[in-house]
This record gives sequence, C-alpha cells and structure tokens, in this order.
Amino acid sequence: MPRQSNAIDFWRGIALITIFINHVPGIYYARFTHANYSLSDSADLFVFLAGWSLRYIVGVPDRPQQPIGYLVLRLGGRAVELYAAQILITMIAIAMLAATATILDNPLLLEWHNAAAVFYDPIFTHIGLAALTHHLGYFDILPLYVVLMAVAPVFAVIDRYAPNWLLPISIAIYLITLIVPLPIPTWPVEGQWFFNPLAWQLVFVLGFVMAREDGIGGFVRRHITVLRWLSVPIVAVSAYIVWNRMWPDPTLMPQPRLLFIADKTYVTPMRLIQFLALVALFSATYPYIKRWALRLVEFGSMLGRNSLIVFCVGSILSLAGQITRFVYRGDILVDTVVVVLGVAIMAFAAWLPEWREQVRLRRSAQPLPAS
Amino acid sequence: MARTGQVKKVGTALAGVLTISLIAGVVFGEGTSPAAPAAPIPPVVAPAPFSPECQGGSTEIVTESPLPHVAAALMKRRTVRILAIGNSTGRRQGGFTRQIERLLKQVVKGADVVIINRGVSGELAANASLRIKNEVAMSNPDLVIWQVGTDDALAFVPLDEVRETVESTVRWLKEHNVDVVLAGLQYVERVAQDDNYYRTREMLRDVAAKEHVMIIRRYEAMQFIAAAQDAGGGYGPDEFERTEAGYNCLAQYLASAITVGAFGKGMSARPLRGPPGSQPQQPPQQAQPPQQQRPMQ
Repeated sequence: MPRQSNAIDFWRGIALITIFINHVPGIYYARFTHANYSLSDSADLFVFLAGWSLRYIVGVPDRPQQPIGYLVLRLGGRAVELYAAQILITMIAIAMLAATATILDNPLLLEWHNAAAVFYDPIFTHIGLAALTHHLGYFDILPLYVVLMAVAPVFAVIDRYAPNWLLPISIAIYLITLIVPLPIPTWPVEGQWFFNPLAWQLVFVLGFVMAREDGIGGFVRRHITVLRWLSVPIVAVSAYIVWNRMWPDPTLMPQPRLLFIADKTYVTPMRLIQFLALVALFSATYPYIKRWALRLVEFGSMLGRNSLIVFCVGSILSLAGQITRFVYRGDILVDTVVVVLGVAIMAFAAWLPEWREQVRLRRSAQPLPAS
Repeated sequence: MARTGQVKKVGTALAGVLTISLIAGVVFGEGTSPAAPAAPIPPVVAPAPFSPECQGGSTEIVTESPLPHVAAALMKRRTVRILAIGNSTGRRQGGFTRQIERLLKQVVKGADVVIINRGVSGELAANASLRIKNEVAMSNPDLVIWQVGTDDALAFVPLDEVRETVESTVRWLKEHNVDVVLAGLQYVERVAQDDNYYRTREMLRDVAAKEHVMIIRRYEAMQFIAAAQDAGGGYGPDEFERTEAGYNCLAQYLASAITVGAFGKGMSARPLRGPPGSQPQQPPQQAQPPQQQRPMQ
C-alpha cells in the first residue's frame, strides 16, 4: 500500500505541478503560480523537499536504521537512477524537437532550448549530454538533482559521524561559491549551469537537517510560532517587490554582490531567506487544506510519492505544451487544454506504478493454486 | 545626442575610414590641444570584408549607433568586456561570440576582448531582463549583446509586455553606462508570413530607433542568405549550413557594428547592396576611400 498522504508529499506534488506550468513560457496560468509573488519559486521547494525526503532514507544519527555502507550504495544507486532519467528525458526532448521541426518544416525549432548544438555540433555535444555539461533549456533541474544525490552519500556519512558539522560545512561551501564566485561551466556551449550545485546544495542540506526532530530541526519546531510571525513581513515585502517589479538596483549593492542581490543561479541569501520564510508560513496551512480539501491533499500526495516519474513526465509534457502553444498560437483555450491534460497525464503517471504495486501485492497474498 | 545612421554593409569602405580617421583624429582632431597629453589610442585596422555569403540584401542589416562606452573602454584599458545574453548566444564551442572576439582582436590590435556568455536558451525577455541587471552588477560589461524576441514570439507573449521589458532594460543599461546591441529575430521561411513574428520584429526595430541603440536585423540578413542559396548562389541549400551561415554573418555584422559604433561615429560607410535573391557580391579587392573624415571619438 502507498504511504498515507502527508505534508511533504503534498507540497512536493504542488511543486511538480507548478514546475510543469512554469516550464511552458507564456502560458496564461503561470501568473497564478507563486513565482509571480515570491522571490523563490517551485524549484527551491522541490530541492528543499528532496533534502527533507533524504532524511527518511538516512534516518537520524543516534538511531541509524541502516549500515553506512549499505546507505552509501543505496544513495549512489539513486543518483544513477536520476542520471538515467535525465538522459532519457533529454533524448525524448531532442526527438520531439527534431520531429516537430521536420513535420512543420520549421528549422527554427531545432534552435529551441539549446538543442541547436545537438544537431549542429553532435560530436562534442553528445559528450556534453552524457557528462551533464550540456543541458536543454528547462531540463536543467534534474542535472542539479543528480549531482546532489551523487554527493548525498557524503552528506549521509558526515551526518552519521559528525552531524553538527554538516550545516556549517554546507554554509561554508555556499559562501565561498558566492563570494569568489564559482560558476560551474557548461560545455561545449559556453555558459554556466543555471542551477549552481555548489550554491543549491545548501537548500538540499537545509531540507535534510530541518527534517531532523533535534538539532536545528528541533529548534525550528520549538520556535515555529515566532518564526512564522517573523516570516510574515519577509513574505509580504517580497511579494510587493516582485509583483510591482520594484527590484533594488543590483549595481548599488555592496561587494561581494551575490550576497546582496536576488539571483536564482546562486540561490542568493535574499532568495533563500524568503524561501525559508515562505516554508515556515505556508507549512501552517497544511492541516486546514487537509481538513477542507482532502481530495486535493490526496491528489498532491500521490504526485509527490512518485516524484521522479512525475517530474520526468512533467518535463516532457511541458515541452509538448510549448510545441502545442506554438502550433495553435497559444490562447487561453489552448492553455487550459495544455494544463488540464498535462496534470491529468502526470496524475496517471503517478497512479500507474501504485496500481501495479497493489495488483502485485494482491496476487502475492492469494494462495498459490494447487498443482 | 546619438546619431542613428544606417550602415548596411560596412565592408571595405570602413578600411580607409577607420585608418584615416584615426590618424586624423590624433593629428587634426577637434578638441585635441597640442599641449594635451596624447590619449593611448589602440591601433585600429580595417575589419576584414564580410565573407561572400554575408554580403548583400537590399534592406538594412545594421542600424548604426555609437558605442561610446566600448570606445572609452578600449581607450582607457585596451580591454572591452562584452556580455552576451539571451537565447542561443552560442552554439559551437563559444559560438558566434568567440568569432566576435576573434574579429575584434583582428581589428583593434592589442585589445583584450572579454566575452561573458550568459545565454539561457528558451528564456523570455522578462527573465533575461532581471539576469542582465544582475550580470551587469557582477561582470561590469562595457557592452551587452542581447539576442531577444525569438522566444517571446514563439511563446506568443503579448507584444506590449515584450516592448515594455526591452525598452526599460535598454534604458536601464544606458543609465548605467553600458552600450547595447540588440540582435533581432531569426529568419525561417516558414515563419516569414507570421504576423506575430513580423510585429515582434517591427517592435524591436522601433525600440532600437527610439532608444538610439544598435540593432542587428538578423532576420533580414538570414533572409538574404536563404534567397541567395535558393537562387543557386553556391551555398548548399542544406538548412544546417544556412543556419551556420546565419550565425557566421551575425558574428561579422556584430564585430563590424561594434567597431563602427566605437570608432566610426559620423562616418557614412558605403553599404554593399544587392536585391534579395541576387548573387552575393564578391568582396572588394581594395579599400574604398572614406566619404568624409572625422576625428575618432
């Protein structure tokens, strides 16, 4: 049986839906996602909750559930699984762009989303695709997740043997990355990773340490009321700034500027603090949502429980949505069809493995026929 | 006040203009007091003529506007920092921005050209605008090359929104002493009749004229390449080659436009023209004398 609906799976499901919508640029419904009212967006939530979920696998340091060797291998295996998923969805996306360009006789689509290098410079670009140094546009979160999961065994080992060191080490890497700064280059197309793993690892680690009921996680739980009151002005002021586009002039900020500006690539402190405030504030709403909209919670949790497959399907669907909007000249009707159909297919992708598991359990529970 | 002229094909007309105007600027230049210390002027040579496939077209490809901050950077530091942003800023190992770097280094001897590639493919102008401001704060560029419009047109972003974004960002860059070159939409035969695509192109052209910033009208350049190829101009009809030629030409236009914008204010470079679909012209063998000489800015 799938695990019961819970806040983590629910919010993860919401993050998956909003990532899908936000990855269809220009779509009407993107204006209703919290990216329009918040310095942070669903990417921060997705990475934070991935770190939080890691705690369920790793356990707590004083009550280890698994030998560390087994844990390291298990997390390494998960990283390989994510890597395989990234390669798969990238190849499907490339094929979709190529097929659409051919059918529509429109080579412009070959240039879309950083795919041009795949077609025009295939020798180097295929090396880059396999090495995760070349990302298609809007297919750049999973490479970050792969790196974070590949490093997760290190996080697990530090957490097991020196738990109080994990967050300070993570913060130190983050600060060095922002102060120097340390961009992660892409290749063969020159640029940098849209999600800098050296900076974003802090979001992941914050989720991981806050999922503990002692340490910083315990501190947050004990003082959650005060933290929520402190979060109100942070979230409100951020919403005002983002909605009215009243961004402070980044050139007026002191050096090192990455510590004082709002930037997604480096998930800068301004963005990070706003995100944590948002989490503190909105975590209070879950019991009410569960009470008044149980179906919604169950739906979101189903998506969140199957986050990898839903994420992959969502990524492909967002590209399909872009192509559909291009062909049918996106208007609100087309956008509605894209969103409704997209979320329905994501839900089907989440339901299918759970249904198969239930069938398997039912069959294994039945007595074997007498031979 | 910036002058918005028209440089169609700068080509070899620029050769004599640049060289002579540099000399004239130093020797006879207005405002050059004999007692004043000579400015460290980097030697500038004529840019290489455009390659054959990039020469031609009856419509204007580059609108000229001065790039004073690029010129000042080259004068003071012999270094120019260029931020390349927008969709598909590079393809092959650095893409067209590396070609620009190479071409500029050929033209401005001893100059150090620093290219900062920050293209995010598929990014809409609104998101690029925020990143441009952050990148300016962090990288301190003298020039921003912004490829804008294609992704917004493909995503059917309301034209007013795109216009407001581009205008406000260009103004912000000018206020922060950063020169701007807009690289417009790409040409593909299939979208040639698309009204949204057409209106986006016209909007960008209009913004560039209103704000007196340079725009490379990539659409028209690529349209000429396509027409020349279809007419049997000797360049394979293969779509990949056509796109590759488009990027090569884009690099050449940009490098020339930057050189003219920085050093050629007031010069009227003789455009090389030909009706769309005509055979591309052969590169001139000899530099043409300038129509008029002005001191270097």
